[in-house]
Amino acid sequence: MSPEEIQQIFFAECEESLAAAESGLAACKAGTHDTDTVNAVFRAVHSIKGGAGAFGYAALQGYTHTFETLLSDVREGLVPIENKLVDLLLRALDTLSDHVEAAREGGDAPGDASLIAEMEASMAANAGAPIPAAAEDAQPEVADIAEGEEDFGLDLDALLDDLTADFSKPNEAPAAGEKRWKVHLRPHAGAMRNGSEPILMLREIAALGGECAHCEVSQIPQLDGFDPAQGYLGWTFSMPEKVEETAVREIFDFIGEDCALAFGEDQDIPPLKIAQSPPRPVAKPASAATAGEPSPAADSAVLSTPVERPQAPEAKADDKAAPAPAAAAASTPAPPAAGQSIRIDLFKLDRLIDLVGELVIAQAMLVQRLGMAGISATEELALLESLTRDIQESAMSIRAQPIGSVFSRVPRILRDLASSTGKHVKLEVSGESTELDKTVVERLGEPLTHLIRNAVDHGIESAEDRIAAGKDPEGTLTLSAEHRSGRIVISIGDDGGGINRERVLAKAIEKGIVSPDVQLSAEEIDNLIFAPGFSTAQTVSNISGRGVGMDVVRQNVKELGGRITIESAPGKGTNFILTLPLTLAISDGMIVNVGDQTLVVPLANVVESLRPGQDDVQGLGVSRDMLNVRGRFIPIIALRNALGWKSGAQAPEEGVLIVVDTESAGQAALLVDDICDQRQFVIKSLATNFRPVDGVAGATILGDGRVALILDVDGLVACALPGMERQAA
Amino acid sequence: MSRTTRVLTVDDSASMRALLNHALTSNGFAVSQADDGVSALEWLAVNEVDVVITDINMPRLDGFGLIEQVRGGTRHRDRPILVLTTESSDEKKARARAAGATGWIVKPFDTEKLVAAVRRVAH
Repeated sequence: MSPEEIQQIFFAECEESLAAAESGLAACKAGTHDTDTVNAVFRAVHSIKGGAGAFGYAALQGYTHTFETLLSDVREGLVPIENKLVDLLLRALDTLSDHVEAAREGGDAPGDASLIAEMEASMAANAGAPIPAAAEDAQPEVADIAEGEEDFGLDLDALLDDLTADFSKPNEAPAAGEKRWKVHLRPHAGAMRNGSEPILMLREIAALGGECAHCEVSQIPQLDGFDPAQGYLGWTFSMPEKVEETAVREIFDFIGEDCALAFGEDQDIPPLKIAQSPPRPVAKPASAATAGEPSPAADSAVLSTPVERPQAPEAKADDKAAPAPAAAAASTPAPPAAGQSIRIDLFKLDRLIDLVGELVIAQAMLVQRLGMAGISATEELALLESLTRDIQESAMSIRAQPIGSVFSRVPRILRDLASSTGKHVKLEVSGESTELDKTVVERLGEPLTHLIRNAVDHGIESAEDRIAAGKDPEGTLTLSAEHRSGRIVISIGDDGGGINRERVLAKAIEKGIVSPDVQLSAEEIDNLIFAPGFSTAQTVSNISGRGVGMDVVRQNVKELGGRITIESAPGKGTNFILTLPLTLAISDGMIVNVGDQTLVVPLANVVESLRPGQDDVQGLGVSRDMLNVRGRFIPIIALRNALGWKSGAQAPEEGVLIVVDTESAGQAALLVDDICDQRQFVIKSLATNFRPVDGVAGATILGDGRVALILDVDGLVACALPGMERQAA
Repeated sequence: MSRTTRVLTVDDSASMRALLNHALTSNGFAVSQADDGVSALEWLAVNEVDVVITDINMPRLDGFGLIEQVRGGTRHRDRPILVLTTESSDEKKARARAAGATGWIVKPFDTEKLVAAVRRVAH
């Protein structure tokens, strides 16, 4: 794995950490600040800091250091969790997210001086002494790291050679008469209890050129009192003069007080220390083995070592040094961690999903073939079918992600909006655990952000207007997601003023989107806001304006195979409802016949289907028929003609009409011979297997093994109805 | 070293595991990974290892908890365990030692120091 790839992992991890911190702080804000919640936030920031250090992002590291220190105080209970503090932490998190972004994009770090000062003030106010500028603290450390990162490309073998050279041979043979100095040492019992091995340290001393001058063996007891874990031996080494004392101390850095050291000619080997050093907890005398003999631990250790198991709980009770949270964590059965996951190459996963798609087709083909041979409804076939469906669902669920990862960004957006518009908005979220395809989740962020900005900017009124209307001065934004009949329904609702239809219509007329004399239903007026180039804000604000507004949102949703609808009530608010497929790989479609061909019409486009009566169809000019749908006329397109085929229904009364909704040309009615089925299908790209074809979105394999083309309804209708760009224009 | 030293790295951060893995494998160590204390214990129950390197702050079971369980068990209780710590204060060292750690590695680590620390404690 290359350093760049590891860096990618780090940034992916940052996203997870930021989301975890965000939801933790949201819980705090809502009044839940138990240890687990605070710990989760701390861990998230801590983890970003660790990575920032490792990858040399100095600004990010310095900032997270301060943030972490404050969180640490919070965790220790030194700083009380109050609303003000949570708000500060939330703002700090926003800036952290900017920092991460800057590190990722290589941009300038955001200004954080005032926030850092504020965080430090929060620590200092409660912890007493002001803490020195932590960011500066971290700076020198950081400089090292930046170099360290460049070192990534260093010749590691050369480094390794240096190291082993140091370890394996004394630098030089001691010259006769060279001045030497003495070090005395005695490893105590604890040295081995912590998994250290004193012999390794002796070897390191030897590697520095030390020579063993004396080994003290007088303390070794009789065999029956011998405890192999005790340090009965002590040594004196004579060291070359050029070796510094610190180099020797360094060797014993890890072992600390568990090995007594003394330096100098006048010193001696430190005394044996048995009483003070507690024996290894598991080496306590087993009550049955040495009954009635309250001997010192050293005496019984040998006897008792084989009987270890029962002491394990005792070890826990003894070891007060272990921090309480750790003990608690160890004793409770661990619930599965929320984000526990393995990382898989997306390519492999998509391959699996492709194969499962093939399996679904093969299974359908088998059922059809057996059905033709008169074998059907057998138990095995039913089993195969249900297994296939289960496998398909499981495979899909691997790609599925909870929509919460998108929702969790919303509080941030609202805070940004609150500071730029002055409108404070409460957020109500439900269904954040609803899962949908990863690609859909990823591509949903942008339209959702836009809708939310739109809701706050245009939907929710100013506090004064709200009070005048008898509403709570604080607006409410409602986000919800749910599964509904195989699709995901996401709704973004506000309790604002609703769509001002008069203004929308006036604007649309002014912009030439509709003609002045057109009669439109309320719903149609609402939908005008999706027209390209439409914007109702008095002035184009920098929040949701920019002219590329809702039409882009609608296009994004459409690309995901979804639809967007509006429900708006004047004075009560507006609800945008997104209906999305669970996955992009499999879609719902209507299987239709035209002549001897079978086609698939994506269900996302279908509004309704009907068999027209004589009076429903009226001619327009020589070649065009219009369908009267409850008083509205929409053009009829005979698929036979549009596709250039020689067979199939020609006159509307010969077949079935499918009313479809399109992006560019409004509604149209497609004439087909008949509708034979409605089912899921696996999309195969024509572009990769053949070449792009106008009016065709792809192909799929039917249950009987035949290939059917999937219509690109938008493209086809636009092509068949030139000059019909939005029917009213 | 005649035999490859086997190292188990325990960290909930995938990037930290990847860094450790990169640094250690390129220096000839055999590296296995676990993402928290609980999965480390599960791994240790069925595998052999020479050195364990663990982070402190982890979900489910943290580094101190892991050390406690390892030292309190039988199979791996003498195993050297290095903790990854972001601070090198004496207090932190004492705490790690008291918890039963053999040594520590200060994050952010450089490869040289990491390798030296592992070699120092590997039996």
